[in-house]
Parts: sequence; C-alpha cells; structure tokens
Amino acid sequence: MTTKITSARPAAGPRKGSRRRPPASSATTVGRPGFAWALPAAVFFALFAITPLIMVAVLSFMSWDGLGSPEFVGMDNWSRLMDDPVMLNSVWLTLLLTVLGVAIQTPLSIVLGVWAAGHQRNRAVLSVIYFIPLLLSATAVSVLWRALLDPNFGIPADAAWLFGDGNLFGEQATAIGVLAFVSTWQFTPFHTLIYQGAARAIPQVLYQAAEIDGAGRYRQFFHITLPQLRNAMITSMILMIVGGLTTFETVLILTQGGPGTDTTISAYYMYDKAFKSFDFGTGSAIALVLVIAATIISLVVVKVSGYDKMRSTMEGSS
Amino acid sequence: MKTRARLPRLVACGATLALTVTLAACGGGDGGASADDGKIHVLVYGDATNKVEKKLVDTFNKTSDVKVVLDTIPGADYQKKLQTIISTPQAPDVFFNWGGGSIKPFVKADLLLPLDGFIEKNPDLENKFLPSVFNNAVVDGKPYGVPMRGTQPVLLFHNKPVLADAGVEPPKTWDELLDAVEKLKDAGVTPIALGGGDIWPTQMWFQYLFDRIAGPELLANALKGDKSAWESADSKKALGVIKELVDAGAFGKNYDSVKYTNGGSVQLLASGKAGFELMGSWYYSQQLTDHKAFAEKGLGYSTFPTVKGGKGDPANTAGNTNNYYSVLKKTKHPEAVAEFLKLMYSDEFVKEQLAIGNLPTTTNTDKFIDTASNPEYARFQYDLVADAPSFQLSWDQAYPQKSSSDLHKAIQQFFNGQLDADGFIKAMQALPTE
Repeated sequence: MTTKITSARPAAGPRKGSRRRPPASSATTVGRPGFAWALPAAVFFALFAITPLIMVAVLSFMSWDGLGSPEFVGMDNWSRLMDDPVMLNSVWLTLLLTVLGVAIQTPLSIVLGVWAAGHQRNRAVLSVIYFIPLLLSATAVSVLWRALLDPNFGIPADAAWLFGDGNLFGEQATAIGVLAFVSTWQFTPFHTLIYQGAARAIPQVLYQAAEIDGAGRYRQFFHITLPQLRNAMITSMILMIVGGLTTFETVLILTQGGPGTDTTISAYYMYDKAFKSFDFGTGSAIALVLVIAATIISLVVVKVSGYDKMRSTMEGSS
Repeated sequence: MKTRARLPRLVACGATLALTVTLAACGGGDGGASADDGKIHVLVYGDATNKVEKKLVDTFNKTSDVKVVLDTIPGADYQKKLQTIISTPQAPDVFFNWGGGSIKPFVKADLLLPLDGFIEKNPDLENKFLPSVFNNAVVDGKPYGVPMRGTQPVLLFHNKPVLADAGVEPPKTWDELLDAVEKLKDAGVTPIALGGGDIWPTQMWFQYLFDRIAGPELLANALKGDKSAWESADSKKALGVIKELVDAGAFGKNYDSVKYTNGGSVQLLASGKAGFELMGSWYYSQQLTDHKAFAEKGLGYSTFPTVKGGKGDPANTAGNTNNYYSVLKKTKHPEAVAEFLKLMYSDEFVKEQLAIGNLPTTTNTDKFIDTASNPEYARFQYDLVADAPSFQLSWDQAYPQKSSSDLHKAIQQFFNGQLDADGFIKAMQALPTE
C-alpha cells in the first residue's frame, strides 16, 4: 500500500517550491523488500521450528528412554506404530474431535460475531461476558469443568433427567461430548472476535442498497453478510483445524485419554509414549505423523478454499 | 496461533525434549543442579514436606565442610525432570524416589551407588529402619535407598454415622464387606466411594485383593519377569472377586467420572453419600482440610478385610512404603553423603516429620509417636507397618515408571468391563518389567 502511494507521487512530476522534500529518494530507499528483510524471521524459524523438527525426525528412528545415549533402531518405532491399534484409533479420534469442533463452533461464532458487530443495546456488556472464557488458560478451564461435571456434586447431580447417572467421563460417547463442549466453550469467543471484525468491515452501502431493493434481515444475512465473511471463515476454520489437531491440555486434564484409551487422541498419545512411558523414539514418530498430517490438511484447505489467491472484499478494491 | 506461542518454549527445553510444537510438558527450567561446585546437590519432590528437608539441610550445613544444596522440583514434573537429567552432567548427587521400580532402570543403567559400603561402616543406616520399608529400595539383593519421609499404608476408611444408620460394623472379613455393601445399598447410599477418574485409587483394590488371595509372591514373581504369574489360578480368583464386587454395585455406576484429586470422592464420604473409601493414610489430613468437623467426629478407619482361603498373611499391608534417598555413583563426596544420610534416622528428623503429620519408619519413631498431631491414628499406622510381614508397594511404583501408563489403562478397563479377565492378563503380561 505505502509503496504504491510513494511511487505514485514522482509521476506527478516535481512541483514548484521547496516545501516538500524531493520524494524520489524516499521511493528508492523503501523499494521492494529483499531477502535480507526476511532474515531475522527466517533465522528464528530455522532455529526454533526447523531444527527441533529435524531432531524429532532423527529421534523417531532411535530407541531412547532418556538414560544413556539413543540407539539407532531403523524402522522399529514406525513399524510398531503402524500395527498399534491405539495409534490408528487416536488418528480417528483426533479427526472426529477436529470435525466436531469446526461443525459446532463455526455456526455459533458466526451468529455471535455478526450479532456482536451490530449496535444493539447491551451489546457491549454481553460481548464482554461472552469473551471471558477466552481469557482463561486451557488448564484452568479444564479443571473447572471437571469439577463442575462431578456426577455427585456438579451439574449432573442436579439435572439427572438430562445426564442419567452422570457417568460422563466413564463412557466414550459422553467423554468425547464433554471434550467437544469444553473446547467450544473456550474457543468460540476467539472465533466470534474474528467474525465480529469481519462483519464490521462489510460496507454499509450493501445493506442500504439491499434495503431499498426490499430485502429483509434474513435475506440480507444470507446474501450479503455470509458471502462477505467468506475469507474470515477460511481463516477461522484453518485456525480451528490446527487447534483441533494439536488439542492436548483439555484431554490431559479432563480425561487423561480415558476411559481406557477411548479419548486418547494423537497428541495425547505422543505425550503418553514420550513422557509417561519414556519411549522418546515412538513419541517422536507420533509427533512427526502429527506434523505431516497437519501440514497436508492445511495445504489442502488453502488450495480448496482459494486462500492462497484470496482477494480483498473491501469496498473499492478491484 | 497455538503453534507459534509454544515454539520458543520447546527449544528452551533443549534437544532432549524437542518433541513437537504441541507439548507443554517441559516447563520449569529451574532446579537444575550443577555438578562441580564442590557441594552436594539433593534433588527432591517439591511439596509441603520440603520444610523438614530444608531444616535438616541447615542442620547438616552447620557442621559439615561440604555443604548440601536442596533443589526442589514441582511434584508433577519431578519424574520427567529426573529422567532427563540423571545421565547428564547436571545430575544431582542424591535424589528423592519411590524405591522399587522407580530406581530399577537407573540401577540397570549403572548410575546408582549400592549402599552396602555405607552400611558396612555404619550398620545403623539399615538397622534404624523398619525392614518391610527398607526392603522396598533393595534391587537385585543390594540396598539403593534410605527412607526419608513418612509411610503411607492404605486403609479402609468409613463414615461412622452412615454405617451406624445402616446397621453395619467395619468389616473384618470379605464376607462382612459384601454384606455391608448390600445393607448400604438398601439404605440408599453408594457403598464405597471411588475416585476412578484418577485410576490409582482403583488400583488400591487390586493391590490388596491380589495380596490377600495370592500373597505378595505373585507380584514379586511377575516383576522378576515371570509372565505365568498373571495366568495362575490365584490371579484369576482375585480378578473374579474384584469383578463380583463391581457387579454387586459396590462402587455405584459413575465411579470413573469421580476423582479423588479434585475432592469428589472425599466429599462423597464426608457428606454421607457413601459408606467406605479405600485410601492412603494421607486421607485423614485431606478430610481435616476439606471437612474438619467430619474428620474429627465421623471418620473411622480399619485395616483391609481378610479373605477366606487366601494365601497372603492378613497382617500384610499395601500402599506407599516411604520415599527414599538414592545416591549417584559419580558423586564426588561419598563420605559427606553418608554423613548426611545419617540424619534420616535422627531424633530431629522424626520429631519434625511427626509435627507435620508424616509418619517416619525409623525404629526411634516409637519413642516420639505421642507428639504426633493425632497420636492414636499415628500409633495405629505405625503398629500396622511395624507388624506387617510384607508391605506391598503400590503397583505403579513397583513397576518401572515406563509401565505405569499401560498398567493404569489395564486396571481401569478391567474394572469398567472394557477388558475381560483374559484381556487384563494379557495386558499385564505385556508390561515391561525392567
């Protein structure tokens, strides 16, 4: 943007009078960002992301319990992992939780976000209340809900018609339900914020024109608001998918992967292998699977959604 | 978003812990000991007992030329931290552990100093401790640890008014317990409170029933690598008894959603919604904190019931025998360390531990037991432990740390019916024993 403006000026030609500095020089110093500009970020990324990633890859071919030096074992960790029913199951559980997260949180946060972008009475106060979960750490949220859902003294005890015997953490379906619910409770405010910002940026003239044409509020929502939120939706969904694939604390504190291995998602299984069973080789292999899977999924989403050639929907952009 | 925030932390943990961007498991960079500063570094589990340990270190430093430095690691991170530094130059000289399987891998890796040399020069380092406790830090016939905190046997606690209302006495035999379960069910309370969400409370039922029915030899053999121990008739009988108790509804239906660690099961007993809870001896102070009035008036305790025809001695007990100090082979000050360990049976040690509610397992504890905050309770436990022919270390501590996760899974799955007896036996046979 800025380069456009400065480079446009010399074209107007030098003006008379010396009130303005000669613009040509500033245009050349701004110039086009070279590779050097990216160096700090690139070094940082290489040091803090690429290097550990390579180490994890190397470690996944080794056997190491933290004592002594790692031993090279070839494909052992990998072949064991391929035959491990818990691993396969954990991949499905991870995908299920991610899909559940996207499916529940997206409609909720769109509705809340669009509402929060309006100018109703009490909106500001209510919005603040809705955003509170976002301020709490995932750990605190999980501890809180585990206590709130205690079958004898928590919510289930007072709502037996809904929860039955309250054994929410003792069965797979309900345990997964709790995990999806707690993530929704915690992360919907964040995505609401994205949609609120995006909804605020929709030009009012579109609504004014629609009103003149006689479109009602629902029609406006489906034909103006939703299409205009497309880019925000993609952003929010990618964040949800990445967040879903890397969910960890909620499982660690709420279910510990249980009952049995019924909620052992991949990220938790990696922790279980590495830091509870001290099998760092297998833990690294699971980590690598997660990294590769998350990268592929992100690439697919970017490609399919056209995020890579996303165009601005702002008023006046061409 | 998440990913980016975590990356720097990851690297701070260094290559050893570089697992992925999602792991927050390696917090707390503090507490590392440096080996060559001419001091003895003692690594301990960080909790309320640290104040006693600090006092003892101060006492020691007053007279010793070689000073001791106490490094505390927050409890939840302790085992991970220890495992990752013990074979590095940052390793401590002396460290806290749970005996049994928690030190076995270190012995195999030849990192620990057998203490028989110390004991030869000063037999008190063995004689001043209760044998059933001292023996839990013996690996392959050699002692590797000195008891350094309190013992925590598992007891069967009960709510006195609830039992009285249902016409139930604290059970002495298994049949009496089954009878009590029926009566409590009729009275409309959950017979036994269980924090199954934590899993280790469930494990306590396995520990005692296997010990009562098959005797301590079964687990000892299994830990030596004898896979057939789990297939034995005694093992199957114990599993049958557990199943019977669960199916009788002794624990209600939602025990897996209840936790001990968030106070759920504690409140269940205190509020009179349950009759019994099997728990470690720390339960009394937990109730005292959470429900003072109940702890003082309504909380009763007894030993685990006997089982007819069982091979185990009914006087056997189970639980956390104690914690231990073990010494690294590469320490530069073995003489000073030996002097430091002497403090673990000093009068000062015993008095300080009793004062904060811990029950030491030294032979001179007897002398000071009346100074405990609850002398009657302390006496009950001390006699129980002192008279026990065998003190079964909690299974997840007897097995090497790396087995504990799979062990817990098997226990929870058998208890809630996801695994049958054969499935449980297979899972136990698959656990690494060293």
